[in-house]
Amino acid sequence: MTPAEWGIVALALAGAFFGGVAAVGLVRLPDVYTRSHAASKSDTLGAILTVAAAALALQSGLSTAKSVFLLLFMFITNPTAAHAVARAAQDQGIEPWTADEGDD
Amino acid sequence: MSDTDAHRILVPVGDSDTLRDTVSYAVERASAAAPNRPVEFHFVVAAETQSVDPDAPEELGSAREQLERVALWVEEDADSADGATDAADGPPDRFTVVTDVVGTDRYLFSPGDYADALLEYAAETGIDRIVVDPEYNPAGTASMLRSMSVELARGDVPVETAPDDRPAQGAVLARAASLSKYLSVFVVSYLFYMSLSAWKPLDFLTGFVTASIVSVVLAPVVANRSAPLGLTLRRLARLAVYAPYLVKEIAVANLQVAYVVLHPDMPIDPEVVQFRAAVWGDGAVTTLANSITLTPGTLTVNVSERSFDIHSLTADSREDLFDGGLERAVRFVFYGRASARIPTPRERDDAGEGRDG
Repeated sequence: MTPAEWGIVALALAGAFFGGVAAVGLVRLPDVYTRSHAASKSDTLGAILTVAAAALALQSGLSTAKSVFLLLFMFITNPTAAHAVARAAQDQGIEPWTADEGDD
Repeated sequence: MSDTDAHRILVPVGDSDTLRDTVSYAVERASAAAPNRPVEFHFVVAAETQSVDPDAPEELGSAREQLERVALWVEEDADSADGATDAADGPPDRFTVVTDVVGTDRYLFSPGDYADALLEYAAETGIDRIVVDPEYNPAGTASMLRSMSVELARGDVPVETAPDDRPAQGAVLARAASLSKYLSVFVVSYLFYMSLSAWKPLDFLTGFVTASIVSVVLAPVVANRSAPLGLTLRRLARLAVYAPYLVKEIAVANLQVAYVVLHPDMPIDPEVVQFRAAVWGDGAVTTLANSITLTPGTLTVNVSERSFDIHSLTADSREDLFDGGLERAVRFVFYGRASARIPTPRERDDAGEGRDG
């Protein structure tokens, strides 16, 4: 394998790892706020690493440029969506889970 | 209605072509609605900047000048109106003019925020009626949001919009201006679409359709004002320095969160904390809020004024937040190196622990 291919594999694996972390976090974490941490950020990083792998693998100017735009937009929209979810939860009066009250 | 004898009218004041007419209308209405009672006019500017903002002194100065002009107009109108009906009545004494600037203690973003600030003022001063300028639109061009008069109507005070007496020509000009905005949004999005497309005949068609939809939906929310070009370029250059730092922060913090999530005991200690950020201006506050959300372990739940409600996953992530690295970086991007040296939230005592509720 060439170094570029190693890089692609590494990025894709890292992406899959953080995607997995997001999924595990979504299941394990106790409430909507903590879950949106996992759903928004580990997920963003996972998706970004995967798209970066794709950008490297495509190796054509236009497709790579499109992938980079995709990265940028994910960077902007994912935290915005997570914020919207958390803010909606707060507006609904959902109390955040804290370590000393739960037994989970 | 108020239990004291003065009839109180609130007129929100902003930059608008129809302000002069609105003042006349308010005076007319006052004469009609309360012919024999004293009338108090409250002319209030809802400030767009916070008082700590670098532009604030200038902006507040021009707001005060505007309010002084408005007060003079009331005198003019009062003289002519009452002079015509009954000259004997020494009229201007009946009218009192109160001017004020509200909202300097916080950031007002949406029409709702402006309405809240004005309604608070109305509640404090016992306003009987609100007269809104038809062109009053302090929150900028976001016409997708509800209009001021609708927002103000949430209060208990009757709200009316002053009539728009401008000749048709004015309306045509206004439409032409917004048309050019639709066009520019359309052109930009069409070019963007084509630059990413394969230039096949079908792409021109789909690009046209896409750009049309984008311009119709988004032109109303495209900002009118923008920072000077030089400043924008400098900010972009500093943003290029900021981006790698942010990526590094995201990577490190993501590993921490992965550790916490995958650890068998899941050592999380979530808490909502509040802190006052030393950044100001829509762009900087938005950038900081999004950066905080992107940095794992911290999630921006709510931003009002400069105060951020942050949900934090672990004690470590709270420490990082109060160390103010991101905040300093955002200041660096928006205001340059000198402003990056403001003390950290902890040192400033702006870091608030768990907020109830």
